[in-house]
Amino acid sequence: MFPDVRSRPPAEAKAAARGALTISDLDKSFTIAGAPRAVLDGVNLTVKPGEFISIVGASGCGKSTLLRLIVGLDAEYSGEIRLDGERIATTSLDRGIVFQDHRLFPWMTLGQNIELALLNTDTPKARRAQIVADHIALVNLQGFETAYPHQLSGGMAQRAAIARALVTEPKLLLLDEPLGALDALTRVHVQNELQRIWMAQRSTMIMVTHDVEEALYLGDRVVVMSPNPGRIRRIVDVDLPHPRDRSAPLLHRLKDEILAELTARPADPANLVRLPGREER
Amino acid sequence: MSALLSRPWLRIGVGLVVPALVLIWWQSQATAGGARAIAFAPLQSVGTAFVELAESGLIFSDMLATLSRSLSGLAIGGALGIATGVAMACWRPLDRVLGPLLMAIRQVPLMGWLPLIGLWAGTGGASELIVVSISAFFPTMLNSYEGVAHVERRYVEVGRIYGFTAAQRFRLILLPAAMPLVLTGVTQAFAFAWISSIATEILLGVGGGLGVTMQLAQTQQRLDIILVTIIATALLGFAINQLFCSLRAHLLRWQASPL
Repeated sequence: MFPDVRSRPPAEAKAAARGALTISDLDKSFTIAGAPRAVLDGVNLTVKPGEFISIVGASGCGKSTLLRLIVGLDAEYSGEIRLDGERIATTSLDRGIVFQDHRLFPWMTLGQNIELALLNTDTPKARRAQIVADHIALVNLQGFETAYPHQLSGGMAQRAAIARALVTEPKLLLLDEPLGALDALTRVHVQNELQRIWMAQRSTMIMVTHDVEEALYLGDRVVVMSPNPGRIRRIVDVDLPHPRDRSAPLLHRLKDEILAELTARPADPANLVRLPGREER
Repeated sequence: MSALLSRPWLRIGVGLVVPALVLIWWQSQATAGGARAIAFAPLQSVGTAFVELAESGLIFSDMLATLSRSLSGLAIGGALGIATGVAMACWRPLDRVLGPLLMAIRQVPLMGWLPLIGLWAGTGGASELIVVSISAFFPTMLNSYEGVAHVERRYVEVGRIYGFTAAQRFRLILLPAAMPLVLTGVTQAFAFAWISSIATEILLGVGGGLGVTMQLAQTQQRLDIILVTIIATALLGFAINQLFCSLRAHLLRWQASPL
């Protein structure tokens, strides 16, 4: 029932490229007021290296819990989560995460915050400053190296958090509603940057969001989850090349479908054709 | 009003209005004659007493003695307080073992310790220093404990993500996150150390210091000298406190300004 954590990965997984994630029969429950309560139930998902997966779902469907398990902040689960064949039991520099709150240390400057991610990597000390500078440039924050987090706007701080997560070049980057707290315009801007960064780095990314449009714009596949307990309801393929056009009809069609799915009512096909932008009420 | 107060010299000026009014009232009481003049020494005699004390150098050696006693006590008690508070917050068993005892000890007023400490360490400078150190210990211990115990978990998680060792977590997360409260503790501790220095000097009357001179002046009924020492105590304590506040503001420059 509980497989040996140290068991060696199967041969075919070893041969796979970097950043392949396999989740099989994942169950997770919390004890609330003395009674166990299932948060995730029978989650199965295979993520290809370099793929961008979006996860959407109502609050309480366990999306954030799933990311905390994958990143290794919580190791109490049953089932399997394997990255390139290795079972995830704790945190690792192979896996990065961007939280909804930027979590930059307020007592460090932007540059110091990003550099601390390299503290325990084998990156030579002499090269670190250059790598940090490159990543600050990647998220367009040149000139703010010595600013403290409270001096940055929400969007800038979130971009800095993305830079901090990328600086270790993780095989797998997890994004837990990273843009949830941003205003609509900043959000579109950071979404574009995220797409550009992902296209440049091609590391595997998994993003949790409650914004279906955002999920579709960035994701190769969109995982739709249902709550109580959290289960995968549907996986939607978004068969459009990157970089994408926000006004692509397919995105709008899929958005209506997913929204209908999330509000648990079948979409009226006639409506979808005639009024592609309309949300089911 | 708030625009006016943004100019530094005006801000200082505003703070001097009430003291000036008090001095005018004082002087009127002192010159009113009769029984009142005994309780209110006229300002010119306070000035003469100051000149007298300054020429003999007594007031400066007193200030130095009290200041060095306070700062030594702050260094000893504060260092022990920070170490104890941090250790108790980092290691819960220590909290369980030491917490109740320290909380009970804290209920005893400082001067309550004096007879006991006098028996152990004699009625000399050592006893004074022990009492001042104890007074500096509790504010730093309590605030350091609170600071470390309430470090936000979300920052500790960032440390886990980047594989911080225990030492890195302590140096890069726990300590800086606790720093605002640690410094609050140190500032409070200085105020406590300063007050208890004067108090023990008055009670034990050894080794020189503002309190010793106060006590001596009281037995000689020199109201003017008492006033000079009181003013010196207030101004020096105020100045050091301001120094601590600016040091704190510099060390915590990463914080958003409260306004």
